[in-house]
Amino acid sequence: MAGEIGLEALQAPAWLGDAGLARCRRALTGKLARETWKYSPLGKVTQALLDAPMARGSPLVDAPEQVRVRRFTALPSPPECRINLHRYPLAGIVAALAGDGWLAEVAETPDRPLRLPAATPGVAAPLLLRVGAGCRVEIEETDAGASTIADVSGPQRLGEVVDRATRGRRSNKAPVNSPQVLAARAPEAESEGTSATHDNQGTLATRVVLLFLAQTAEVRWSRADLAPAREGWSLLAAELDEDASLTFNHQSLAAAFQRLDVSVALHGAGARFGSTGAALASAGAQLDLQYVIEHIGHRTVSRVKQHNLASGKARCTFNGRIHIHPHASGADADLSNRNLALSANADINTKPELEIYNDDVRCAHGATVGRLDDDALFYLQSRGLPTAAAQRLLSIGFLRDGLSGPFAEQAANSFLQQLSAATSG
Amino acid sequence: MSLLQVDDLHVSVGGEAILKGLSLRMEAGEVHAIMGPNGSGKSTLANVLAGRPGYEVTGGAIAFKGHPLGQEEPEARAQAGLFLAFQYPVEIPGVSNMEFLKAAQDSHFKANGQAAESPVAFMRRVRTLADSLSLNPEFLKRGVNEGFSGGEKKRNEILQMLLLAPTLAVLDETDSGLDIDAVQTVAAGVNRFRSADNGVLLITHYQRLLNHIVPDFVHVLAEGRIVESGDRKLAETLEERGYAWLAKSG
Repeated sequence: MAGEIGLEALQAPAWLGDAGLARCRRALTGKLARETWKYSPLGKVTQALLDAPMARGSPLVDAPEQVRVRRFTALPSPPECRINLHRYPLAGIVAALAGDGWLAEVAETPDRPLRLPAATPGVAAPLLLRVGAGCRVEIEETDAGASTIADVSGPQRLGEVVDRATRGRRSNKAPVNSPQVLAARAPEAESEGTSATHDNQGTLATRVVLLFLAQTAEVRWSRADLAPAREGWSLLAAELDEDASLTFNHQSLAAAFQRLDVSVALHGAGARFGSTGAALASAGAQLDLQYVIEHIGHRTVSRVKQHNLASGKARCTFNGRIHIHPHASGADADLSNRNLALSANADINTKPELEIYNDDVRCAHGATVGRLDDDALFYLQSRGLPTAAAQRLLSIGFLRDGLSGPFAEQAANSFLQQLSAATSG
Repeated sequence: MSLLQVDDLHVSVGGEAILKGLSLRMEAGEVHAIMGPNGSGKSTLANVLAGRPGYEVTGGAIAFKGHPLGQEEPEARAQAGLFLAFQYPVEIPGVSNMEFLKAAQDSHFKANGQAAESPVAFMRRVRTLADSLSLNPEFLKRGVNEGFSGGEKKRNEILQMLLLAPTLAVLDETDSGLDIDAVQTVAAGVNRFRSADNGVLLITHYQRLLNHIVPDFVHVLAEGRIVESGDRKLAETLEERGYAWLAKSG
């Protein structure tokens, strides 16, 4: 149960406030959390976070000079972080555990992509990224660690994490983010300005990024989670001003617990969000993708396309919610989630949701769950491809249809490698 | 040893008998045309030869190059030299035509103990074939049949036939949906394929294709069996008189 090992003892940093932290504690057991974490173990994740080590280091690798990076505690006053704590209480817990955060400000277009370090096990401080008006930013985030699905010994990796956490449960009564406890949780070697300093495979990795795009700013974010044994929870919460544009491409190869929350608020007129994703969940993976897109301003546009393929005993969840606010006339939203199950034991859940409070909108959503097409399989076999090879080709074709961005080829190769390992012939 | 020998073949689909005693013999170097009204079993014959799941042989026998075709998987039949040009070729997004063709050829080569062709030589050969069929080489980069017109799909089928060089090509209504120019292009491809070492089983509704691909034999399939056989003149008679006279004379 969440909170057993010190949730109530957490201390809130100034920018979160005691009230914010209290809201998080309440939300963890609230109705919304039960709904949005229906297929993921919120209690276990919370508990694992409370006992996870600190993952420290700069939030950006070799940041371009056009980007100014500072700790929250180094700022004259706490920055404004508008996290929806009711929907994302874990973000508040992570913030409280980290005790600090990072502010990265982009005032002019950087001369190269911003690179986020590979997500590392433990609690990482939230990153608040502000992109100034008219700036164009490429963000790259890739985790192609050596972990392979073959390294994953069983379907209940998160359970293992929790077991380890429970065995190492602290007996002292100090707050879990008190200075003495934080010191004990910190990795041995730690230096600011370097990337991840801790790689304790099997421990939950976290990433919380709050992204603010000023007028006409453009961000292209490419994310590749290609270390299948990594367990992780990430939140990308973005707010877009007038005519700003966010493109998010992500690929995921999962064989353990992985959850991604994406929250996009299209505040400004003409703001645009596009997301293309492909995920291959194998072995005992629990892959959970949760999208919430808020159309708040006029003529806002969103496009979401997600292809998921589940094999083995994997569980694959996609929840896509589009919320059209009363003043969002001219909004244009399209959300599509296609799923394939390669085995009888794979479990797929998909739930597109529309909530519309304006008549002058165009909204479309669709979700499919199926198996490899028999006609297509026969077509390939009739050309001499053995069954396993034909299945593999159809699978990679399905996933490729959801790939985009700079990591697309790398992801396709990783997917193909995994599909080849999973099938013979 | 015949290239194809079908004896008293009975086939059911979903429990319904479709072929009811079909017999046919083909020798290498021959082109046979199968004609017949809708629902007579023409496509069933094509699919059962290729080993499509769901087509249950309830009686009779098929022998391909002297070997009985029983429970062989579709890929085994293809690797042995049997090719089916689909009436409705399937679209496969995300898999490029070139990738698909290479995988198909590699499977054939591997099954027959041949070394794989180098990618450069392969691509050069495929582009030449595409050009001969007036198929834009750009189509080779696109998903298999994805967004192709009906004519482009059929030309892609012929390209695959020429690439894989089967011993028996079964063309299931390859001329359907084609304009006159496309029919001529496809027919030219088939005529180029014809040789003394292979055979073509041409399933069609129309005489017009047979103006370009001259068959050695024409068979009429009705109610699951071949009810009439002859030379190309039989097709001309069918074009003039339809199929009704066969039922009356039978």
